[in-house]
Amino acid sequence: MTATPAIELRNVGRRFGALQAVRDVTFDVAVGERHAVLGPNGAGKTTLFNAICGDFPPTSGSIRVFGRDVSDMPAHRRARHGIGRTYQQSLLFNGLSVLDNLFVAVRGVKPNRFSFLVPRRDDGHLAKARETADRVRLSHALDVPVGDLSHGQRRQLEVGMALASDPRLLMLDEPAAGLSPVERPELSKLLRELPKNLTILLIEHDMDVALPFADRVTVMKDGAVVVSDTPDRIQNDPVVHEIYLGHGGHKH
Amino acid sequence: MIAWLRTPVGMWSTIVLGALLCLPAILPELMPENQARFWLANIFGRAIIYGIIAMSLTFLATYGGFVSLAQMSLAGVAGYVVAVTVNGAVPSIVGGLSYLTAIPLGVFAAVAAALFVGLVSVRTRDIYLLMITLALAMGFFRFVETNIAWFNGYEGIRNVLGPTVFGLPFRDPHVLYYVSLATAISLYAGVLYLVRSPFGLVLQGIRDNPRRIAALGYNVAHHRIAAFGVAGFIAGCGGVLATIYNIGISPGSVGLSATVNVLIMSVIGGLGHPIGAFIGSLIFAFFDTFAASIYDRNRFNTLIGVVFLIIVLVSPDGVIGFAKRARAFAKEKAAPKDWSRQGSKPG
Repeated sequence: MTATPAIELRNVGRRFGALQAVRDVTFDVAVGERHAVLGPNGAGKTTLFNAICGDFPPTSGSIRVFGRDVSDMPAHRRARHGIGRTYQQSLLFNGLSVLDNLFVAVRGVKPNRFSFLVPRRDDGHLAKARETADRVRLSHALDVPVGDLSHGQRRQLEVGMALASDPRLLMLDEPAAGLSPVERPELSKLLRELPKNLTILLIEHDMDVALPFADRVTVMKDGAVVVSDTPDRIQNDPVVHEIYLGHGGHKH
Repeated sequence: MIAWLRTPVGMWSTIVLGALLCLPAILPELMPENQARFWLANIFGRAIIYGIIAMSLTFLATYGGFVSLAQMSLAGVAGYVVAVTVNGAVPSIVGGLSYLTAIPLGVFAAVAAALFVGLVSVRTRDIYLLMITLALAMGFFRFVETNIAWFNGYEGIRNVLGPTVFGLPFRDPHVLYYVSLATAISLYAGVLYLVRSPFGLVLQGIRDNPRRIAALGYNVAHHRIAAFGVAGFIAGCGGVLATIYNIGISPGSVGLSATVNVLIMSVIGGLGHPIGAFIGSLIFAFFDTFAASIYDRNRFNTLIGVVFLIIVLVSPDGVIGFAKRARAFAKEKAAPKDWSRQGSKPG
C-alpha cells in the first residue's frame, strides 16, 4: 500500500457518560472510494460521523484524515482540512436566503473568510455559490429564505452546503432521509454526478440505495463494526442478513 | 438609487429622514419656543442617544441571537473614560485631554471592554449569557460606585459639557440633536451594511446554527467576540453622547434600572430590525418624561409599566412586529391568496 488513505480509523470510541455509543472502530477509506456505513438505528453511525468531523471528538482511539491526525482538532479546523459534511436533520441557516447559505458555505475554508466588506456583484465566491446552487438544482430559488424551502429542496441544499467548499472528503449522513420515492432518484443522480476523485463516506440505512453506490460497505451494530467488505459479499453475508434485515429478511 | 427611492422601504426611509432633518424647524411652529427646545433635546435628542445604546443590544440579539445586558455598562465605560480624562470635568481626575482625543479614547475603551465581555461569555447562550452579562454589568456598577480615586464614587463626575462643533456649543439643543442624529444614522447605516457582509452573514449563521458554521470552517468564538466588539463600538458612541447629554456621569447611569431600561426600549421597539431600538427609545423617552404629568405624580411608574405591558402583550415582537402584521393584513385584504396556483406545479 503506497497511497495514504483518505481516512484511517484506529480503535475509535466515543462515550457519552455511561453510554459507549461507538467502540473500537477500525477501518480505512481509500482516496476516491465510495464507502457506505450501514446499520440499524442506534448503531452509532452518526456518532462515528461526528467523531470524524469533530462535532463530538472521539474519546478514545485516533483518526487520521489524508495522513494528518485530526483526533483533537476542533470541527472548523477539520473543515479547512478538506472535510465537507451533511447532516441527517438539515442544519441550515433558516433566516438567510439560499444564495447566502451557499455563499457562507463557500467562504468557510477560504483564507479571507473573516471579512467586513460586502461582496461586489461579480465576486468569485458569489459566482461559486450560484454554480453550486445550479449543481444541486436550486438556481431557481436563489433568493428564497431557506425557512420557506420544501423538505426535498432542503435536502438538496444540505448536499450543496457540503459541496460548496470543494471538500476532498464528503461525508453524507442519510442524504435521502425523509425524501419521497419521487425525490429519491433526483438525489441519487446528483450523487452519481460527483467527481470520481472525491472520497465519499455515506451513511444510509436503506440497502437498496447504498449498495449500488458504494465500492465498500461497513456494517455497524451496537456501536461496533460487524463486517467491512464489498457490496456483493455484504449482500450475501448471513450475519448481515440476521442483524440488519431482521428475521427472514422481510425487507427484501 | 432612484429605483430604491420608489420601493416602499426607500420611500418611507426618505420621508422619515426628511422629517428628522426638518424637525428643529417644525417644532417651534407647533409649540412655544422653550417647549420646542425641550422636545428637541430631551425627547428626540435623548431618544436618539439611548436608541443608539439600545441598537447595540438589538444588533447582537437580532443578528447573533445574543441578549447581552452589559451594553449600558459598555456605554458607561466610554462615558467614564471621557469624564475622567477630559479637561473641565469636575472633579478633575486625570484631565488634560481635549474632547477630540478623549472621545475616541472613550469609544476605544468601550470596544476593548466589549471584547472582554465577549470573551468571558463566549461559551454561554440564552439565559446563561443573560446572567453572565448582568453579573458583569452589576460588577461594573458597584465598582464605580465604591471607587472614589478614579470614578468619584457615588457622586460621579459632573460638568462634561461637550466640545464646540463648528464654533457652536454642544449645549445648544440644535447641536446636540444634529450631532446625535448624524451619529445614529451613520451607525444605523453601518449596521445595515455589516449584516450583508460575510461577517454579518456568518453572525446570522451562528444565530441559526452554530454547529453548521463550525462544520463549514468558521471559528465561531472569533466571530462572536468580534460581534461583541462591534456592539461595543455602537454602545460606546451612544455612551459618549449620553454622558454629554447628561453633563456628566454617575453610577446611576450604569445601574440596574439603566441596564433594564435599555432592554425595555429594545423589546417594546422590537428585535426584528435595528430601527426598533429607536422607536422603542422614543416611546420610552416620551412616557418617562410625561407619565408624571399625565397620571398621578406618585404612581407614574405604574402607567409606564402598564403601557409597556400592553405593547408586549399585544405584540410580542414589539412595535415593528405590529407594523409588520398590519402590513401583511393590508396586503391580504388587497390581494386575496390565489389558491388556484397552489395546486398546479410550475413547469
